Amino acid sequence: MSPEQTSLLQGTLDLLILKSLRAGEMHGLGVSRRIEQLTGGTFVVKPGSLFPALHRMEEEGWISAFWGESENNRRAKYYRLSKAGEKQLEAETKRWSRISLAIGQALEAS
Amino acid sequence: MPLLVKAGSFLRNLFLTRRVDADLDQEVHSHLEMLIEEKMRAGITPAEAQRAARIELGGVAQVQEQVREERLGSWLHSAWSDCRYGLRHLRRNPGTTAVMVFTLALGIGASTAIFSVVYCVLLRPLPYAHANRIVAVFEVTSHGQPSRLADPNFDDFRDQSRSFEAIAKYDNYVTSVSGATQPTRTMVADISPAFLRVFGVQPLLGRDFSDDDAKKGAGRSALVSYGYWRQNLGAPADLSQSHLRIDGAMYSVIGVLPAGFRFPADVDLWLPADLNGEGQSRTSHNYSAVGRLRSGVTVAQANQDISAIARRIHDTSSEQGDYLLKDAMVLPLQRSLTGKARLPLLVLLGAVGFLLLVACANVANLLLAQASVRARELAIRSALGAGRGRLIRQFLTEAFLLSLVGGALGVLGAFWGVAGLVALAPGDLPRIESISISIPVLLFALLLSTAVAVGLGASTAARATSGDLRQGLVEGGRGQADSRGSRRLGQVIVAAQIAITLALVVGAGLLGRSLMRVLEVNPGFRVDKIVAMDVSLPWVNDPNAKAGQAIFYANLIERLRQIPGVRNVGAASALPLAEGGLPDGMFLLMTPDEVPKTVDDFGALSQQKERIGIADFCVASNGYFQVLGIPLIRGRIFDEHDGGNSLHVAVISESLARERWPNQDAIGHTIEFGNMDGDLRLLTIVGIVGDTREYGLDAPPRPTVYVDLFQRPSPAITIAMLSDGDTRSVTAAARGILQEMNPELPAKFQTFSQVYSASLGSRRFNVVLIGFFGLVALLLATAGVFGVMAYAVNRRTHEIGVRVALGAGSGDVLRMVIAEGMRAILIGVGIGIVGALVLTRTVQSLLFGVTSTDPLTFGAVTLLLVGTALLACLVPARRAMKVDPMVALRYE
Repeated sequence: MSPEQTSLLQGTLDLLILKSLRAGEMHGLGVSRRIEQLTGGTFVVKPGSLFPALHRMEEEGWISAFWGESENNRRAKYYRLSKAGEKQLEAETKRWSRISLAIGQALEAS
Repeated sequence: MPLLVKAGSFLRNLFLTRRVDADLDQEVHSHLEMLIEEKMRAGITPAEAQRAARIELGGVAQVQEQVREERLGSWLHSAWSDCRYGLRHLRRNPGTTAVMVFTLALGIGASTAIFSVVYCVLLRPLPYAHANRIVAVFEVTSHGQPSRLADPNFDDFRDQSRSFEAIAKYDNYVTSVSGATQPTRTMVADISPAFLRVFGVQPLLGRDFSDDDAKKGAGRSALVSYGYWRQNLGAPADLSQSHLRIDGAMYSVIGVLPAGFRFPADVDLWLPADLNGEGQSRTSHNYSAVGRLRSGVTVAQANQDISAIARRIHDTSSEQGDYLLKDAMVLPLQRSLTGKARLPLLVLLGAVGFLLLVACANVANLLLAQASVRARELAIRSALGAGRGRLIRQFLTEAFLLSLVGGALGVLGAFWGVAGLVALAPGDLPRIESISISIPVLLFALLLSTAVAVGLGASTAARATSGDLRQGLVEGGRGQADSRGSRRLGQVIVAAQIAITLALVVGAGLLGRSLMRVLEVNPGFRVDKIVAMDVSLPWVNDPNAKAGQAIFYANLIERLRQIPGVRNVGAASALPLAEGGLPDGMFLLMTPDEVPKTVDDFGALSQQKERIGIADFCVASNGYFQVLGIPLIRGRIFDEHDGGNSLHVAVISESLARERWPNQDAIGHTIEFGNMDGDLRLLTIVGIVGDTREYGLDAPPRPTVYVDLFQRPSPAITIAMLSDGDTRSVTAAARGILQEMNPELPAKFQTFSQVYSASLGSRRFNVVLIGFFGLVALLLATAGVFGVMAYAVNRRTHEIGVRVALGAGSGDVLRMVIAEGMRAILIGVGIGIVGALVLTRTVQSLLFGVTSTDPLTFGAVTLLLVGTALLACLVPARRAMKVDPMVALRYE
């Protein structure tokens, strides 16, 4: 993955993770599948990107983690959106709409 | 709130590393398990599901490493683990590590020691308030040389310039002082009243000179140094009872200067100048001068200012001629004080910098060799998810560990080295007493170590982490693909090392040959077996008093002759090579009926070019020529018939006879040289003696006029005793005789060989140090060549084995290895010669009797270097010859 792609995806990835967790607490694999589902398969998040992002966001205080049981009674680490995370999601969403609107206008202009 | 969370994570990452890691490990593993279950649910076999899941995950260890790098404080964590890992690695190769640390310690230590000298002598500001505003003021002679100032010229600078807050003249000399605890020979300075204001200094006790103190006929007053006040005056708080007999006259002490103020160097007493009235001549350069620039005035502005005044004087003065100023200039005082020491010290700093580079090159080569052995380890770390940045950091960390330990050891060594440097340094090195390892010097050492670490780490890392690291795994850990590149880099380093060493050794060779040439010079006088005794009597002008001094000298010399072991005794106003030297001036050729009545009439006569001669003026006794072995060429020297009232005679040096009286006999001519001692009687030339190199063996002899000590006694003389006896017993006996004849008269003793040796001090200092650096660089470079070649042969054992198996003879192998080594060496030699040709031009002015491109030195050094390097190649090459093809192939 080239560095430009990573930096472009970084903000997007955070936003998508926050958005997935809005629906409720889930583990890493769940987040990953939820993102695939939300974006209609456009974004496939590899564990190598997902876990660093989850841990970073936990350190930022946007999400919190706890150990729980998976559907198949397996011990799994679950993530849950915090208050700060909700605010962050709001802010990120606004920022993203602004950007996509601007980019859209830019591309439509002749 | 998020801030608290952050801080908590940071601390947890830092201190609960193990738990955090275990947690991560479980999380990734459970993720993998869930992936497998997911795949199996899709209906594929467990084995296939496992495989698909692992591919999707991309490696448990890699994912973990990526998370770790993302964590808060990960840099701290990884720096710490890099350190631990680096230390472990360095400890695993204790021999190599010790060599690298020692090499760096040598380079950094030597550089730090030399820098401490450069810093203390050249860079450290002078210890005065706003010292950068203090300047030395000079007249510029018609030949463009800076010179001291004549009184009326100084007055004009003081009164007409607008650049100075204060400007003062001064003149320092050694004289006899009594009235304190014991008579001493003390350094005294005559100063004009603004002197202390120039330095921004006020007396600690008492008061400064006022303008009235410096007027003609004022009461004699003196300022004393803090040290003199404590040691010789007993540190009285009340100065009213402190009086000193200086140069025969009584002075009251009116002030004590603060501790540490001694300008000019070593002065203990400051007296007002001009108590006997000012000189009127614009061509008698009696004083040095210093000034404090007004705030905001630059040196360039001050230069313009006084230059304009000087040119006005030049255009309007009635005293035209060679001795009248042509211009004037100011120079920052610091520059002016360190002027002569500057170039030799900078050359020394350059030389030690070269040594450091050679040392670093060796360490770089060792690191490189280690790095290619570590190719496998790097491949594994890279496969486990360490990014290139992380690996580069690892190399940098190791380089830092090495150079910081090396630097610390080096600084310890430098403490010891500085003591040696100060002991070895020439006595005339300014500010030498304050040389030490100070805070700025330590900072320099730290900076240097850091620079070395970055250089070494970056070069090793760049080499070791370039290309595809995983090749290291594929090729069975021998890193063959990589080794050719490393080998080439090793050769480049060797070539650079050889080039630098060559330049350094050539420099040392040129300076060494210069010293040898200087020592070969015939100085024109004898040096050994002479004990010199400095004595000063008060300055007198009265003819009767002068006659009394002549009798005193005659008696003293006669009694010194009686000391057992003393063969002969002579005296002169200064011995050759002595500090200060002889005064020089303009004499006039004239016959007895042309003699002027007063000193002032000289002005008019000195306009006539054909009458003028220029020479050093030396007062000497007849024994002086015998003691120093200065040969009489023609005529006679002084004898007992030359009394105070008989015809005044002079002996001149050969070069003066040749220059001033070409194609005729100088003997019998009469000259007027009364401007030197105030005695206007003509001097009849009666003899011609050999030239002496009075101003150093490397300076040409100067034309000299000798006058008879018993006809024209000089107040300060040096008595030279030629003795076969023990120096100490002669000194003791002479001291006893002087004590008996005049208990108030102090004397200073030294052997003439000490004076001779001191005159070569600066030259010897540089030769010894640069020679030492050159030698060490040569050893390091040899070790470097050996190391690279041994490593190369080791790496090529297999290839050589194949060659031998295919029929290569041992001669072919030898040639092949040596050719590989010599190519780098010869390239290095070529670059080194070109570099040296450029660099040695900067030391041109330090050379004597050799040119900066001296073919002999260049040739000899090249041979030496190529020869040594060849030897260093030969050992590994011989090992290559002995490679047994069977063993070499099986080893593979």
